Amino acid sequence: MSPQTRRLLEFVLDNLVWFMLLAVLTVFSLFVPNYFQPGIFANIIEASSVLGVMSIGLALVIIAGHMDLSVESVAALSAMTIGVLFCSAGIGIGLKLQPEWLAVPVSLFLSLAVGGAIGLLNGFLIVRWRVNAFIVTLASYIWVRGIVLAVSGGRSAQDLAPAIRWFGIQRLGIDVPGFNFTVPLTAWLAVLCFVVFSFIMTKTPFGRHLIMIGGNEVATFRAGIKVNKLLIIAFVLAGAIAGLAGWLLAIRTSGATANLGTGLLFNAFAAVVIGGVSLKGGVGALPGVYAGVLLLSAINTAINLMGLPATSTQVIHGLLVLAAVLLDTFKQTLRQRLA
Amino acid sequence: MRKLLLSILCVMAAALALLTPALAQSKGKVYYLVPTLLDEFQTGSVSALETFLKQVGYELVTLNADNKTDTQQSQMNDVIALKPAAIILAAVDFNALKPGIESAMAAGIPVVEFDRQITSTPSSFTSVAGTIEIGHIAAEQAQKLLTAKNGSVKGKVLQILGDPGDPYTLDIQKGFEEKMAAFPDVKIISLPAMQWEASNAGTIAADQLVANPDIDLIFSHAAHLSVAVVAALEAAGKKPGDIMLMSSNGAPVGLDLIRKGWLNVEVEQPLYAQAAAVAAFMDKIVAKAEIKPGEYDIIGLKGVVTTETWGPNIKLPGAAIDKSNVDDPKFWGNLKPPTDTVKSIE
Repeated sequence: MSPQTRRLLEFVLDNLVWFMLLAVLTVFSLFVPNYFQPGIFANIIEASSVLGVMSIGLALVIIAGHMDLSVESVAALSAMTIGVLFCSAGIGIGLKLQPEWLAVPVSLFLSLAVGGAIGLLNGFLIVRWRVNAFIVTLASYIWVRGIVLAVSGGRSAQDLAPAIRWFGIQRLGIDVPGFNFTVPLTAWLAVLCFVVFSFIMTKTPFGRHLIMIGGNEVATFRAGIKVNKLLIIAFVLAGAIAGLAGWLLAIRTSGATANLGTGLLFNAFAAVVIGGVSLKGGVGALPGVYAGVLLLSAINTAINLMGLPATSTQVIHGLLVLAAVLLDTFKQTLRQRLA
Repeated sequence: MRKLLLSILCVMAAALALLTPALAQSKGKVYYLVPTLLDEFQTGSVSALETFLKQVGYELVTLNADNKTDTQQSQMNDVIALKPAAIILAAVDFNALKPGIESAMAAGIPVVEFDRQITSTPSSFTSVAGTIEIGHIAAEQAQKLLTAKNGSVKGKVLQILGDPGDPYTLDIQKGFEEKMAAFPDVKIISLPAMQWEASNAGTIAADQLVANPDIDLIFSHAAHLSVAVVAALEAAGKKPGDIMLMSSNGAPVGLDLIRKGWLNVEVEQPLYAQAAAVAAFMDKIVAKAEIKPGEYDIIGLKGVVTTETWGPNIKLPGAAIDKSNVDDPKFWGNLKPPTDTVKSIE
């Protein structure tokens, strides 16, 4: 194989998920009626915002060699907290701050704090007490959702404060006669999160150390790196980011219900794996995760537009996700052969 | 020290004395197997049943199945072992609970079906609005709305279901579509909001508004789904009234949306009447006495009891709520339980 061919192949393998996304969008555009239009692509990006942000936190922890099953429930609790405080109908108490824009930083802070606190508890139990991450975060997945149910009493909060809801209504993009491609600010926030955390993972010692810990925790410890501290920070970040995802979810639905976010955990895992993050730890990059999120949203949107019987959609969805995961596995095999 | 101990004992004796009459007044414990508490209707049903059963002398204990069939089956088996006065069941899966119902009935424990009608095996009593009938009412309202907008029953309807694994939503869909089938100029697009999750409904609405900008009416199978649909409409720059909205179950969020002008109609399930009917007949159910078919007044609503192959069945009519009657306290979505005490049917 010539060096040029090898370089091209490696480029394709390194960015396979983006090529997969492109291929999937092309196929759906050709064969699914009404798919190929700017509004639909804008919807895909918008629909990716909550899942995308949630996947960032999950990816951080997985790259560090652990896992966090609680992200979905943390997002739900964060959304319900915001809903109860800042919604004016249902179980919302309609908290009003002066000036009104203050509701944005306060609600954001609360979301991050709620998520971070649960992340800290998870991290403490896993790192200090050496309890298995799967068990701790599975328990958190259950009891945090339980808190959502207990706090809400099974009821909903709706009519989010306009100042916060503004992020879901204001759109940025290209809007000229005959062509409208605008996306809500919430989606831009998600993109910003990916940019920031991609930078952190690749250009900062924290990010590089997390990858090293995921690759070999013992060796990293022996190299003098504070493994325990970094792991706890990773779990706190995962929780805080899940809290941010909950904030975005509350904005997207203008409130919160007791079952909000149900099913996101599976999609977050799928996006992370499709994005090239190894479940063994030590391998993965966040841009790939974003591509994985977009891929899943593209599949969801295609299913929404295909007009399939309602009882078949879950099967089709699962099979398409399986195909994406298998393609990623094929990539790993090819990469090993190249090496 | 001795005086303190004596005082404590006296207080405990007094407390026990107060308790004993209360215990003696209870006619027994009734277990309610609720499918989920993540839904306002189900949560409302717990407090309604608790209130009304207490009025007729029964204590209610609720077990939540968290939408898991196997959990509810286990709960059924456990409750049978406790030999309660009766079991009230709102089944997660209509057919999977059949063996459990039969075991309970064979053990002499009356089983009451609440809200979700199980026709495959006899029960002691069934109290329903009828999910297919809810679909029928929704269809009638859809026809009115489309006629008001388009001059006749024609146009495009986006139907957002709940989880497609839930027979409840499939029955509403069946009832809705069988009535709408008489109008070939109506196109119905049906899509499920997986796991009844609100943001899934929002995504469906957002995508369909782009793919089918000529949608006339969006019908969601639960009011909380409509909240996310409204959020999607707002994000797309729509105002109240631009697209007609309808949902079913009658939750408080639905009534709020009517008041705000977003929702045109909410098809209510008469939660209070359904629960009151169970309480009113509970003495007969526990005593295994005959429940005669006929019309009964259940907190002001006309309930019709018929004898079916699955036992006595009371059907209570659902109602269409719109701007003209949204504040009527009889609708459970206004969270004002009836002040009249439920009395046992003689």
